[in-house]
Amino acid sequence: MILLFVVHVLILISIYILLAVSLNLVLGYTGRVNLGHVALFGIGAYTSALLYINGIPFVIAFLASGFFAGFSGFVLIFATKRLKGDYYALATLGFSFIVYSLLLNLTSITRGPLGIAGIKKPELFGFAITNNFSYLTFSSIIVLISVFIIWRIVSSPFGILLGAMRDDETALKVLGKDTKMLKYKAMGISAFFAGISGSLFAHYISFIDPGTFTISEIILVLTIVIVGGIASTKGSIVASAIIVVIPELLRFLPLPGGIAGPMRQILYSIILIVLLLYKPRGLFGRIELE
Amino acid sequence: MSFVVQLTINGLIAGSVYALVASGFSLIYSTNRFMHFAHGISVVVASYILYTLFSIAQIPFFLSILPTLFLSALFGFFVYLLVYSPLQSRNASNVVLLIASIGVLILFQNVLQAVYGANVKTINLLETNKGIEIFGASVTHLQLVIIFFSLFLFIFFNFFMRKTRLGKEMRAIADNKELSRIVGINDRLIAGASFVIGSFFAGIAGIFIGLEYNLFPTMGTDLIIKGFTGAVIGGVGSVPGAIIGAYILGLAENYGIAFLPSGFKDAISFVLLFIFLLFKPSGLLGIRRNGE
Repeated sequence: MILLFVVHVLILISIYILLAVSLNLVLGYTGRVNLGHVALFGIGAYTSALLYINGIPFVIAFLASGFFAGFSGFVLIFATKRLKGDYYALATLGFSFIVYSLLLNLTSITRGPLGIAGIKKPELFGFAITNNFSYLTFSSIIVLISVFIIWRIVSSPFGILLGAMRDDETALKVLGKDTKMLKYKAMGISAFFAGISGSLFAHYISFIDPGTFTISEIILVLTIVIVGGIASTKGSIVASAIIVVIPELLRFLPLPGGIAGPMRQILYSIILIVLLLYKPRGLFGRIELE
Repeated sequence: MSFVVQLTINGLIAGSVYALVASGFSLIYSTNRFMHFAHGISVVVASYILYTLFSIAQIPFFLSILPTLFLSALFGFFVYLLVYSPLQSRNASNVVLLIASIGVLILFQNVLQAVYGANVKTINLLETNKGIEIFGASVTHLQLVIIFFSLFLFIFFNFFMRKTRLGKEMRAIADNKELSRIVGINDRLIAGASFVIGSFFAGIAGIFIGLEYNLFPTMGTDLIIKGFTGAVIGGVGSVPGAIIGAYILGLAENYGIAFLPSGFKDAISFVLLFIFLLFKPSGLLGIRRNGE
C-alpha cells in the first residue's frame, strides 16, 4: 500500500521534473516568463491521448505530442516577439486561455468538458506497460534522457549564448548574434519537452479534461521553478520533489473532504509569495527574475 | 430588431460589470505601473462578504453594503501593504509583481473554496426577477440599476480625478512619477490610496455581481481577465480608456455569440486580448510606456 503510494508520488515527481526543467529553460535562459507553458503541456497531453486512442502507435503519438507542442510554442513566441516583461507574460497567459477554450469548445475533436477518459498506458515495441512500477521505469528513463539533453543544451555554447542574451541582449546583438533565432530555438525546445511531459502525464493519469491545464497548474510549475532557482536545472529537480511531496503529505492529516484540494493550492501560493518576498533566488538560483 | 436590442442591453450589462472591474484595476495600474491581477479576487471577496453578512448573518441589505465596501477596500490595501509594497521596496520587476499577484489570486480563491465550499452561492435580495420590456427586449430592474449606477459612478469618478487634490496627484503620478516626487507628491501614499479606491470599486463590482450572478470561488480569474481585457483594449494606464474598453468588450462578446456557439463567448475576449497585446499594447487611449 505504502509502496504503491510511493511509486505514484515518484511518477508525478518525474513528470513535474520535466515540466519544470523545460520551463526553466525559457524562463531562466531567455529571461521570459512563459505563462503558457502549462497550455503546451496540455497540448502535448491531448495530442498523445487522442492519437493513441485512435490506434496510432505510441512512439508516434509520443513524439507527435512533443513536436506539436513545440510547433505551438514556436507560433506563440513568433506572435509575441515584440513584447517584453509583464506584457509578454500576460500575452502567454492569454495564449493559455485561448488553448483552454479551444479544448473546451472543439468538442468534435477534444470531447469538450467531458474530457478524455480511459487513456491506456503505452505499449512499446510489443512490450506493454501494465502497472505503475513499469510506468515509473518508463517515465524515469524518458525524463532522465530529456533532462540530460536539456542539461547538455544549457551547458553548450548555445546555452551560454542564451544566458548572455538574458543578461544583455543588446551586447549580444552587437556581437552579430541573431538573438531572435536564439529565443525561437529555446522556446521550441522548451515547448517540445513540455509536450512530452504532457504525454507522460496523460498516459499515467488516464483521464484529462480542459480543467487539468489551468492557471492553478501554472502557479504550481512556477513555484517549482522559483523554489529551485532560476536557471538552475538541479534546483528544478530538487524543487519538483519537494513541491510534489509536501501536499501529498497533507493526505495523512485528518482534513475534512473538500478541504484537501484547496489546501494544496493555498500551500503552493503561500510558498510562492513568501519566496518572492524573502528568497527570490530560491534554493540554487544564481539570478533573480527580471 | 428586438434581438439586436436584447444583445445590446446584455452587452451593456456585461460591459458595466467589466467596467467596474477594469476601472479599479486600471487606476491601480496607472499609479503603480504593474498588473494587480489579484484585483479579480478583491471583487469576489467582496461578493462573499456581502453573502456572509446578508444571507448568512441576515443583516439588512443596506446595512450590509457599507461594511462590505469598507472590508474590500481594506483587503486591497493589505495586499498592497503585505505583498506589493515590500516587493517594490526591493525594486522587484513587473514580472515578479505579476507572478506574486497571480499567487495572491490563487491563494484567496482557494481560501474562499476552503471556507465556503466549491458549490454555487446566491444572494436572494430580490425575490421576483420580473423584468420590464424595452423595444421587445427584457431587462430586470437590477440590471437597469447596474447600468445607470455604473454610468453615474464613472462620471462622478471622472470629476473626482479632475477636481480634487488626491485625484490630481494620482494623475500626476500616473503621468510622470519622477517629476511628481520632485514637486513633493508622496508616491507611496498615492499608491496606497489608489489601492484603497481601486478596491472600493472592486467592492461595488462585487456587490452587483453578487446580486446579478451566482457566486463561486474561481470566478475571480474570469472577472479579472474580462476587466483586464477591457483595460487593454482601452489602454491599461488610462481609467476612462479602460471603462470604454470594458463596454466594447461586453458588447463584442454579446454580438459575437449571435454568430458563434455560446461556448465561444469567453474565447472572444481572449482573442481580443491577444490581438490588442500583439498589435496595440497601448490600447485605444493609452499612453505607451518607456521601452515598449
